[in-house]
Amino acid sequence: MDYLNIANSNLMFGMVAVVITVVFIQSVVFFIIAWKRGLALGMTKRKMLDAVRSSAIFSVVPSLPILLALVAMVPVLGIPFPWLRLGVIGSAPYELLAANIGAQSMGVQGLGQSGYTAQVFINSMWIMSLGILWSPVIFLLFAKRLQTGMANMKKNDSKWLEILIASLFFGMISVFIGQPVVNGGIQLATILTSAAIMFTLTAAVKKFEISWLANFSLSISMIASMALAIYYSRIM
Amino acid sequence: MNMKPIESEYNKKVHFAGRLTAVLVILMLIAVPAVICLHYNIFPTMSGFLKGLAMVWMIYLPICIAEVLTYTPMVGISGAYLSFISGNLSNMKIPCAAMAMDNAGVKGSTDEGEVIATLSIATSTIVTEIIIAIGVIALVPLTPVLTSKTLEPAFQNILPALFGALGVYWIMRQWKLAVTPLAFVILVSILVPMLTGKSIPAGLLIPVSGLLAVLAARFMYNKGWVVNAGNE
Repeated sequence: MDYLNIANSNLMFGMVAVVITVVFIQSVVFFIIAWKRGLALGMTKRKMLDAVRSSAIFSVVPSLPILLALVAMVPVLGIPFPWLRLGVIGSAPYELLAANIGAQSMGVQGLGQSGYTAQVFINSMWIMSLGILWSPVIFLLFAKRLQTGMANMKKNDSKWLEILIASLFFGMISVFIGQPVVNGGIQLATILTSAAIMFTLTAAVKKFEISWLANFSLSISMIASMALAIYYSRIM
Repeated sequence: MNMKPIESEYNKKVHFAGRLTAVLVILMLIAVPAVICLHYNIFPTMSGFLKGLAMVWMIYLPICIAEVLTYTPMVGISGAYLSFISGNLSNMKIPCAAMAMDNAGVKGSTDEGEVIATLSIATSTIVTEIIIAIGVIALVPLTPVLTSKTLEPAFQNILPALFGALGVYWIMRQWKLAVTPLAFVILVSILVPMLTGKSIPAGLLIPVSGLLAVLAARFMYNKGWVVNAGNE
């Protein structure tokens, strides 16, 4: 049997649709819990709606590379399984790596290569599914301890906890800033453009007190600099 | 050590909903390949399965541990229940929540911050799942658009486009916290490919960079050079 018949089977579609629905419901449940909590804390609906609106608009563009990964994965892995994998934990590079390891450990050169039988496909599925389950498992095991740790830190020195969180954030963004800066070329031009647009928008928000713009300045900077990246690729 | 749990109705609800949904999703993720194996009666060889799993776990177990430690404080406990299930933290959930909290004028370590972060991450997850579902349904008409040569440079540069804006915004707030990790990343990104011919994956670099940022911040905090996280 061709493995793609299994990969695109109704059974597979059905199971994937169920899992994605549960992930969706999880977000809805947490949204409701957080919304009620916000009201109980005396936060205004306006403030919460602003966060929701800007988050929704911001999330559109970073979701597009996920679709690109979907397009790349579908010919070799069928439609439903890539849908599942990209809709839950992990990322496109991880999925491709894990799927390939699943193939190679069965003695096949790689995804979709000759010898990529149903048995090898199923091994890829297993490796992709189990390989990165550690993040939610570890978090589940240590959630309460992490919470207590942070609460104690806050009690002892709340300023330091704020600085610690900000430092972790700076540690993360430094990786994504430093690498394109070193790589140079279009990446460097794009990162500088994006920074310049954001700088201007932030200054405008402050100077002219256009507070609604603050919610969208990140999205605007991102889309504008991506558009300019197309232009740079033609002239560089 | 004081291990008194923070008990409140809200807190209980978060842990209950978080545990229930996360355990459910984890079990279902394991069930998908299991059901396929049983239904078609096709199983991978034990050696192929174990060899593959060992290879992936060798790389991803340390990354996953570091991720939980690095990202949980940034997204908060209830945000973490969501983001460790739906993924895409560094390129979507964390920037999204950070900007939402800042625009709302709340800090991540506060109750209000946790509310905004959770709303932001839940919204982000819902939007992404809807977009992927649209992608699945409209795969055929969307493929030529997504893979068009014209748009290729835009998609290839999505991370510089995101982090240029994010970077300037936060560095303007508190540049002192950014100096050490940024210098480290730039140095390593120049030296390592020069010496080994290979670049380091971001997943490995983030926890090291984060740890250095925290150590440098602690030093500056003790010296009194940094007194707050950068919000006026």
